[in-house]
Amino acid sequence: MKKKQGARMDKYLLVSVLSVCVGIFVWWLVTDGLGLFRSNVLPSPVKVCQTFLKKWVEARPDGATLLQHLMASLKVALGGYLIGALVGIPLGIFMAWNDKVDMLVRPVFDLVRTIPGVAWTSVMVTLVGIGYMSKALVIFISAMVAMVINSYSGIKQTKTVHLWVGQTFGASNWDLLTRVAIPSALPMIFTGLDVALGSAWTTLVAAELLASTRGLGFMIQQARGIFRLDIVIVGMVVIAITGAILSSIIRKIGDRVVKGGRLR
Amino acid sequence: MRAYEKNKRLILGAVGIFIFLCIWYAATKLTSLGKVMPDPVTVFGGFFHAFIQPIGTRTMTMHILISLRRMLIPYVFGGFFGVLVGVLMGWYKAADAIFMPYIQMLRPIPPIAWIPLSIIWFGFDEGSKYFLIFLACFFTIALTTYNGVHSVDETLVRASKMLGANDRQLFLTIVLPTTVPYIFSGLQVALGSAWATIVAAEMIRSSEGVGWLIVRGQDVGNMTQIMIGIVAIALTGLLITTLMRVLESKLCAWTVRGK
Amino acid sequence: MSENKNVLIEFRHVDKEFDKPEEGMYKVVGDLNIQVRENEFLVLFGPGQCGKSTILNMIAGFEMPTAGEIICDGKAVDRPGPERGMVFQNTALFPWLTVMGNVEYGPKMQGVKKEERRRRAQKYIDLVGLQGFENSFPVKLSGGMQQRVGIARAYCNEPLVMLLDEPFGHLDAQTRYLMQDELTRIWQAEKRTVIFVTNNIEEAVYLADRILVLRNCPTGVKAEYEINLPRPRNYTDPEFLRLRREIDAVVDHTL
Repeated sequence: MKKKQGARMDKYLLVSVLSVCVGIFVWWLVTDGLGLFRSNVLPSPVKVCQTFLKKWVEARPDGATLLQHLMASLKVALGGYLIGALVGIPLGIFMAWNDKVDMLVRPVFDLVRTIPGVAWTSVMVTLVGIGYMSKALVIFISAMVAMVINSYSGIKQTKTVHLWVGQTFGASNWDLLTRVAIPSALPMIFTGLDVALGSAWTTLVAAELLASTRGLGFMIQQARGIFRLDIVIVGMVVIAITGAILSSIIRKIGDRVVKGGRLR
Repeated sequence: MRAYEKNKRLILGAVGIFIFLCIWYAATKLTSLGKVMPDPVTVFGGFFHAFIQPIGTRTMTMHILISLRRMLIPYVFGGFFGVLVGVLMGWYKAADAIFMPYIQMLRPIPPIAWIPLSIIWFGFDEGSKYFLIFLACFFTIALTTYNGVHSVDETLVRASKMLGANDRQLFLTIVLPTTVPYIFSGLQVALGSAWATIVAAEMIRSSEGVGWLIVRGQDVGNMTQIMIGIVAIALTGLLITTLMRVLESKLCAWTVRGK
Repeated sequence: MSENKNVLIEFRHVDKEFDKPEEGMYKVVGDLNIQVRENEFLVLFGPGQCGKSTILNMIAGFEMPTAGEIICDGKAVDRPGPERGMVFQNTALFPWLTVMGNVEYGPKMQGVKKEERRRRAQKYIDLVGLQGFENSFPVKLSGGMQQRVGIARAYCNEPLVMLLDEPFGHLDAQTRYLMQDELTRIWQAEKRTVIFVTNNIEEAVYLADRILVLRNCPTGVKAEYEINLPRPRNYTDPEFLRLRREIDAVVDHTL
């Protein structure tokens, strides 16, 4: 609220750094320092760091290294996500552009999208069994739903004036769609790609917790069973960081592709 | 003319749903999908029948109510503390500096990834589910509230000071009203993610509730029960988000969005 | 007129500099000395971006002078206060309050009892001609009506001075003329000291008792005109047109 930045900023940055340091110190104090919590309830920060480093090369206790789990997760998540985007974007655009299709499909879609991605896991496992396919299908559905919603609203938000401008220049319906509506929907489509990625990644973790033999979700679930909380926490951290990195990649691509900035 | 347009939307929507059900029905009757997938009549029949005839030890009403209770109690707490922390961080720079790093670090962890940890900390009972839902709501609502406080229009602040408001009055009459729509959009998003999280949590460990319906169906290979569970999740999800939207439009009548 | 000659607001050697990140210190107002008399309608007229609004913001107490001081009713201005009412260019109405809620906001903040402040608010709502819209939200009103609410809101606090920052800048030409007449009528009905900022010469001559023509940054007073035309004024009156031309010749037309 108040003005005066510059010098003030540094003061608050210092407070932030201090706050994190105090937090980590308290964490250390209640674990290693005073031994209030044992490592099967709350492992110390030191232990978590050690495990994080060791787990890259060590397959015990769950049969795979951190890298193998990460790769397994990425393969499923990105596979399902990409196909979901490939199907979801055109579907959303088509729904928004064609009024009849919109009115026919919209209510069905509104019903389907209220179903959380995880809920499909049981259906897919029963249909195709535990494995790559069932998880990829679940992720496909959750990514596709997010893609359809965003590209749909992107097209719907096309300014009527822009369409009129196109029409005065004699553009055909196809021209209007590809030269006016889709470019103006691009920012929303990229928002959709970001949102879909988030929901694909979350759904993946859920699917792996439920039905899997490899992957980060599987790893933390196994570690939970044998009270290796250090591995659980390492797994959560890797899940969070990977999710954040993937999302920032999508955003970088979005900034490159969407020229002229995002008009609000 | 407008009445006709409105009806057209309704009629085509109904036709769309009908076509969808027909395709589903035809696919189960005419192709090999029928061996694994029940037809819609069986599913919806089973869904409504479950209101009278219990699945497991409880009727459908109880399964839905149990899931809703599990979700709503921590949702209210998460919402309350989320708004509180969001407002504190938005209003006091020091609170911002202290809490923001933690929120930035913990928020990228999907709520579902907390499940193993919450089971160890809080056991298999309601405690761990409350913890999960609390987390799922808290971060979202705290951040949207924070953004709301920061989006206060500087000229409205000036207008309020010019009219003689002191800091407390400024906060109550300008900052809070500006933040309310943001809080609602946070509550709306959090509701969706809380519902997804409770379904996941029930699928992993529980002995009743809509998530249990699904996972129990999977365990015994009963596809009809899985589909009944999915129908229950979809309809309940639709109901609660619609209720939330109605509440929002009642409370935020001044915004254009609220109409 | 002689009893109205008391000075209400005085600028004493006021400087205002802004710290621009790239260009360093930027002087907007330099050694400004102005006296504003009680109950006069003073128009600050100057080209765009010349610091007119900064002057108003300093009187309102939103911004502080870098040097010198501003005296209002015998006290140095150091913060915003209810004795200095402001009407903003973009209206700055509270969108979540009704017309009544907006107008009674000021008295409510002073702790005026509900019945009293309702009565007062109603008086000013009637004065600006908005009876019947008390329970409408601002978003439902036209631009001209919104600015009427803004004027009523500022009046309702019964300030010593009304500060108007290009209040009709966003209105269409027709509404603008109408609002100028309305403002004249309101001001004649409820005499207050008014400081009105505009970049429209016609508007300045039409409304003012006195016009201060400002120069480009750093802003200072370039010329001063007393307008003694009787009200209501006529845009096509020869004397009106002569004044218009005379002022136009003085203004900095460079950007």
